Amino acid sequence: MSVWSHILREVVFRKLNALFTLLGLAMAVTVVVASQLLAEADERETRRVTRDMGFNLRLIPAKTDLGQFYRDGFSRHAMDASMLDRLATQLTNKVSFNHLVGSLRREYTINGQDILLVGLSETYVAPGQGKKPMGFAIEKGTIHIGSQVALVQEKKKNDTMHVGVRQFAVANDPIETGTPDDITIFVRLEDAQSVLGLAAKINEIEAIDCLCLTADQDPLAILRKEIGGILPEVQVVHQRTLADARAKQRQTREKVNQFVLPSVFVAGAVWVALLAVFNVRDRRQEIGILRALGKGGERIAALFLGKAVLLGLVAALIGSALGTWVVLEFGPSLFPVTKKAIQANWPLAAQLIMVTPVFAALASFIPAMLAVSHDPAETLRED
Amino acid sequence: MIRCDEVTKIFSKNGSEVMSLDRFTAEVADGEFVAVRGPSGSGKTTLLLTLGGMQRPSEGLVQLAGRDLYAMSPAERARLRSSEIGFVFQMFHLVPYLDLLGNVLLACPGKPSAEVRQRAGELMDELGLADRASHRPGELSAGERQRLAVARALLNRPKLILADEPTGNLDPENAAEVIRHLAEFHRGGGTVVLVTHGEVVNAHADRTLSLEQGRLVTN
Repeated sequence: MSVWSHILREVVFRKLNALFTLLGLAMAVTVVVASQLLAEADERETRRVTRDMGFNLRLIPAKTDLGQFYRDGFSRHAMDASMLDRLATQLTNKVSFNHLVGSLRREYTINGQDILLVGLSETYVAPGQGKKPMGFAIEKGTIHIGSQVALVQEKKKNDTMHVGVRQFAVANDPIETGTPDDITIFVRLEDAQSVLGLAAKINEIEAIDCLCLTADQDPLAILRKEIGGILPEVQVVHQRTLADARAKQRQTREKVNQFVLPSVFVAGAVWVALLAVFNVRDRRQEIGILRALGKGGERIAALFLGKAVLLGLVAALIGSALGTWVVLEFGPSLFPVTKKAIQANWPLAAQLIMVTPVFAALASFIPAMLAVSHDPAETLRED
Repeated sequence: MIRCDEVTKIFSKNGSEVMSLDRFTAEVADGEFVAVRGPSGSGKTTLLLTLGGMQRPSEGLVQLAGRDLYAMSPAERARLRSSEIGFVFQMFHLVPYLDLLGNVLLACPGKPSAEVRQRAGELMDELGLADRASHRPGELSAGERQRLAVARALLNRPKLILADEPTGNLDPENAAEVIRHLAEFHRGGGTVVLVTHGEVVNAHADRTLSLEQGRLVTN
């Protein structure tokens, strides 16, 4: 009789032992799969939410007085728009910044109303990252206006409006935001340059840092070194609040993972080992007679380790399917913004299908060795 | 066939030493049927396990067909047990989740050939178990279980059968039936060493060894 046939018959005979082993391993795999998929979803959601909160990196001319910058919200100095192109050529997934937008910001007066005029370039994204550009794209010949501008100028979507000597169509439904955006008119960069008489100039490059450092690390030093190497003419202003929120969230998740995954592994190993010890105890007479019939230690070990491998394999299949189903079913309500990105992680499932049988065999190793080293004469004498 | 020379076995139990076999010396010839008798705790089972290569003696020499049994490696002893020795125990020691045929074939080293399967079928037929081949041991009477254990012991055509009170749990009719099969094996040239309390074996045994407190008192 082959070892596998022998194992299968024993599994069917001692259903409870096999069932509890299977349940323990399947639960462990389910927790690993679900926690991993949820962690990925959580990180995606956080990235998206913090990204949608806006840029957290502002590059302004080096000569800018920060007092003036914070008071007015923009630099009164200008720099060449070619600097944006220089930085954009360095965009790869190895640098610590992404989503570059050049802008030209100045105060401006329209029909007696003081407003902020902001010209925006297109968004530059690192190649191959496939991320959507941030903010909004401004179509040629159009503008986006803030709610206070709309109110005072009595404009709404699709109305025409003059900025300087040029006429534009209002492209948005103005909504009150409670921010300086309410008194802002957003135009294309070249239109702002034309209106303000600052051809080929910008006074800011906005970006997002993608350092994802832990909250106790200093991303600004890294960013200043990296960006300063490319554009020595700028100073880097980093809005730490947004970056820290993301980093702290990531740190929390890592701490949870540091606790959850080892706990699952230890609990699973102890559970499987205990059940294997019970199994060895139940089968002492069988081990004795197998020895008396001339079966070697390797055959005895194969019966116990093979059983662990078999149950580990089945548990990995069940646990991977169950963990994936749980996250696909309940994940979208937990992570509504990025719910479409929640997907099965097949490479992880494949890894677990390979690793779990080995894990189960390792957990059963000591009980299997107990079985091998068990003195058969002891049980055979127990008549 | 078997030679024991000054075989002693001492167990440590709760800090004290118990002598199970005390300088036991005896020989069993090829084709002999030997009964071993003695009160409980006299060392009969220890002797049987020692002769079967399952229990290393504390001192002394055990030879099987001229070979020093305990000079062999555990793997060599396992091979020897598989090919030359059959065991029958009082408690049957059947594997509960294998059917009858599976239990008989368990004695086969490696994958059973068609010839081995045929022999297993013949043995089950001889021992009146052919119609129960797909049953499990739990579905059999005590007599049937012991006959199954005898079939398993005979599968590899051993030269020696070591039986430890094989009739201890059987009614007289089944006890006689089991002894009859062991006697048949003996008539065919096999050697039998049988530990017993019963009288049913008297008619078949060539010789009786009596043990008392691990010592051979009658040969």
